[in-house]
Amino acid sequence: MTTAKGKLPLEGIRVLDSTYVFALPYAGGLLADMGAEVIKVEGPGRPDVTRTGGYSGVFAENDLGEDWWNRPSTYNLIHRGKQSITLDMTDERGRDLFRELVSVSDVVMENFTPRVMRSWGLDYPNMRKLRPDVILVSNTGYGHGDGPYSGYPAQATTQEATHGHCWVTGYVGGGPAKAGASFVDFLSTWTALFAIGAALRYRARTGLGQWVDMGMYQSGVMFLSEYILDAIANGREGDRIGNRHPWRAPQGCYPAAGQDNWITLSVGDDAQWRALCRVMGQPELASDERFRSLLGRRENHDALDEIIAAWTATRDRYDTMHALQAEGIPSGPVLTGRDVHYDPHYRSRNFLERAKYSPERKLGERMFLSRPYKFSKSPLHIQGPSPAFGEHNGLALKELLGVPDEQYRQLVEDVIITTVPTTGEPSPVVPQPEALERGIIAAWDADYRERLDLDSL
Amino acid sequence: MFVLTTDAVFPSPMPHGPLDGVKVLDLSEDIAGSFCARLLADYGADVLKLEPPVGAALRRMPPFFRDDPHPEKSLFFLAMNLNKKSATINLKTAAGRELFRDLIPHVDVVVESYRPGYLADLGLGYADLETINPGLVMTSITPFGQTGPYSQYAGEEIVNYAMGLIMSISGLQDREPLKHGGFQAQYEGGLNGAAATAMALFMQGNTGKGQHIDVSITECVASTMMATQTMYPFIGATQPRRRASGSNFGHPMACEDGWIIVQTGGGATWETIANFFRDPRLHEERFTDTAERNRNGEELDRIVLESISERGKWELFTEAATSRMLFGLVQTPSELAECPQLESRDFYREVDHPVIGKIRVPAALFNLSLTPYQYTMPAPTLGQHNREIYLDGLGLTPRDLTVLRQTDAI
Repeated sequence: MTTAKGKLPLEGIRVLDSTYVFALPYAGGLLADMGAEVIKVEGPGRPDVTRTGGYSGVFAENDLGEDWWNRPSTYNLIHRGKQSITLDMTDERGRDLFRELVSVSDVVMENFTPRVMRSWGLDYPNMRKLRPDVILVSNTGYGHGDGPYSGYPAQATTQEATHGHCWVTGYVGGGPAKAGASFVDFLSTWTALFAIGAALRYRARTGLGQWVDMGMYQSGVMFLSEYILDAIANGREGDRIGNRHPWRAPQGCYPAAGQDNWITLSVGDDAQWRALCRVMGQPELASDERFRSLLGRRENHDALDEIIAAWTATRDRYDTMHALQAEGIPSGPVLTGRDVHYDPHYRSRNFLERAKYSPERKLGERMFLSRPYKFSKSPLHIQGPSPAFGEHNGLALKELLGVPDEQYRQLVEDVIITTVPTTGEPSPVVPQPEALERGIIAAWDADYRERLDLDSL
Repeated sequence: MFVLTTDAVFPSPMPHGPLDGVKVLDLSEDIAGSFCARLLADYGADVLKLEPPVGAALRRMPPFFRDDPHPEKSLFFLAMNLNKKSATINLKTAAGRELFRDLIPHVDVVVESYRPGYLADLGLGYADLETINPGLVMTSITPFGQTGPYSQYAGEEIVNYAMGLIMSISGLQDREPLKHGGFQAQYEGGLNGAAATAMALFMQGNTGKGQHIDVSITECVASTMMATQTMYPFIGATQPRRRASGSNFGHPMACEDGWIIVQTGGGATWETIANFFRDPRLHEERFTDTAERNRNGEELDRIVLESISERGKWELFTEAATSRMLFGLVQTPSELAECPQLESRDFYREVDHPVIGKIRVPAALFNLSLTPYQYTMPAPTLGQHNREIYLDGLGLTPRDLTVLRQTDAI
């Protein structure tokens, strides 16, 4: 049994990461940040979907380079600090090597359908024979078991509807809407981290591993607990209130000076309301009969929205935030994927971290979301850039498993392992000016590399 | 070295859960901190909620059972505080602070969500508590984190979403950015708090060393924005909200009795999807690849909406699964409450609450083979365990207790 003794929480823990798309792969990246040794496994003919770009990201500099599969943005965010190996799991030799890796791993993560893992003899009962104290983490759309949807294919984009979030999201008077991208994936990412941390602690105390069986659907539904209880106890089905609050008022998202700039604010009580009137330079509003009480403000929300929007529309969004926050009123601008790189608060917390690539990767230096928690005594960092496809085949198979050179050469020859995917096409690249015209992107800074002070390629 | 605590302070209801033996003080009054501590309780920790004498703010949050705004009837409080005990404590009094310090040697974790610096000002910051218990893990969950220029700023759900980038890509291009429904940001803060706490507890078990964990709720929201953030340092671009027209495909679309949503990819080819919607026009070249569908979005939306206008959401959902399509339907809260899949996963548990009575509550976040989720007790009533904690645990006398109550220390 491996025991972590180092400065980072997961030093000495090895994770075999046989997962695809967003949810568990991202958990693997975050485990690497915590000091775990994470080995990502892909099939030579089954590269991760995030390698093909498209909905899941863009290629660095919009350039496919010589190895497009290593250049997409989300692939590089998710797999930071990992090792990458390839194994053809449709070949018995590939499965055997996978079994050998299981036997030297503390945690195994997978997101195949239940049927696939069973057919490979890699379901939990069989995996325990290879590694009795293994912690196996399985993530599927609806969870294992005999439920009616357990065999249904699923991904986060469409699950957002099924797990109820779209029902409660949408403009006032409009239909259900999605928010964000692949929302429930991330709930599963963090659920996996929690489960792994707890299971590792239990294993350290008892020597016993176990099987973590997650369904993304279940995580999504949990986050609507209060709506479900309201339905059960009060027969209420929830409603779409746009940017308003179930009890505070006024609350909304209002225009600010500049193109597509917005400011949010939320008023909870009479004192905050009076303060808002003062900051807006309209103290007389505070005594307006319609708005004096919370119930009145809720009733006359439309009229209030007009008054507030007229005030915010010509002001700088940051100025409005600072002025309102100085009075204790919750407020903040809508920040974009560009803004997060320049906002002083995010900068002071180093929320975006840099990863430097070796020259042969031709990716220079990039910035990535780090993680939303800081440990006072274990400074967490991105441990290194995302690996190239199969970059660590030699390290894992020869050095870790002791595969002899001759056998290794045969594996390469028979494409059980590879560094070039045997299938897959890059998504079409759309040059930024055309993307801007077609509405695929909202804005573009041609000089972003200088602005971010990124090392040259 | 592992910090072992006496069971006299928090007798374990039963040995279970991967976090069995972990003792937690939950000082949080909000959703995020309460959810964090509840997850720890769900998976085996003994959690004591310490509330101000008026009760945690969450007790005043809707929805209420039968719409009765009684302090013991907040369903939000119920959901976020299953499996915990409750004692009252007033940290604004010297006697209350002393009681709090007396509890610290017996616990592994403190969860709190006060304004950064509030506890330190009371002499109860991590630096103070660490001298009493070097193995202590303290998890602070706040809107913007413990450091940085906005750390003292007030947070609200909409502000977390706005500054967490998600609003910039939600809603339509010709309208204002749209907030996600409910309190997702708070739940995200709680879940990340629990994840970080579990990792810190694993390390504490190995090294004896505690940590102060700083969780930013806004950063939790931003962490879901991987395509949005990376688009900038990879090609210098910003992701937009979706077009006002011709972009319905891939978002909820109205059918006969509700809404469905479809996604390309997974195990289904475009041909399968075109067959599913039963309109031969979908096999035409202008729809067969992503870029073409994007260009001809208005026509695509029209055809698909027409083809499902007389088909029911459940029929469509089941048939799509047979075709191995990535497909969803918009479920309502009451449909979720009755869902057979959740039933098969043992997701709900019936709670018998002393004031509310029997009610089914969302319970198990995930399943574990050896130490599964266990429901042990309903959310506590205010100060329900004062005698157990202060008399049996800390050894105060009944007379001490009445004096502490009279002086508003508990």
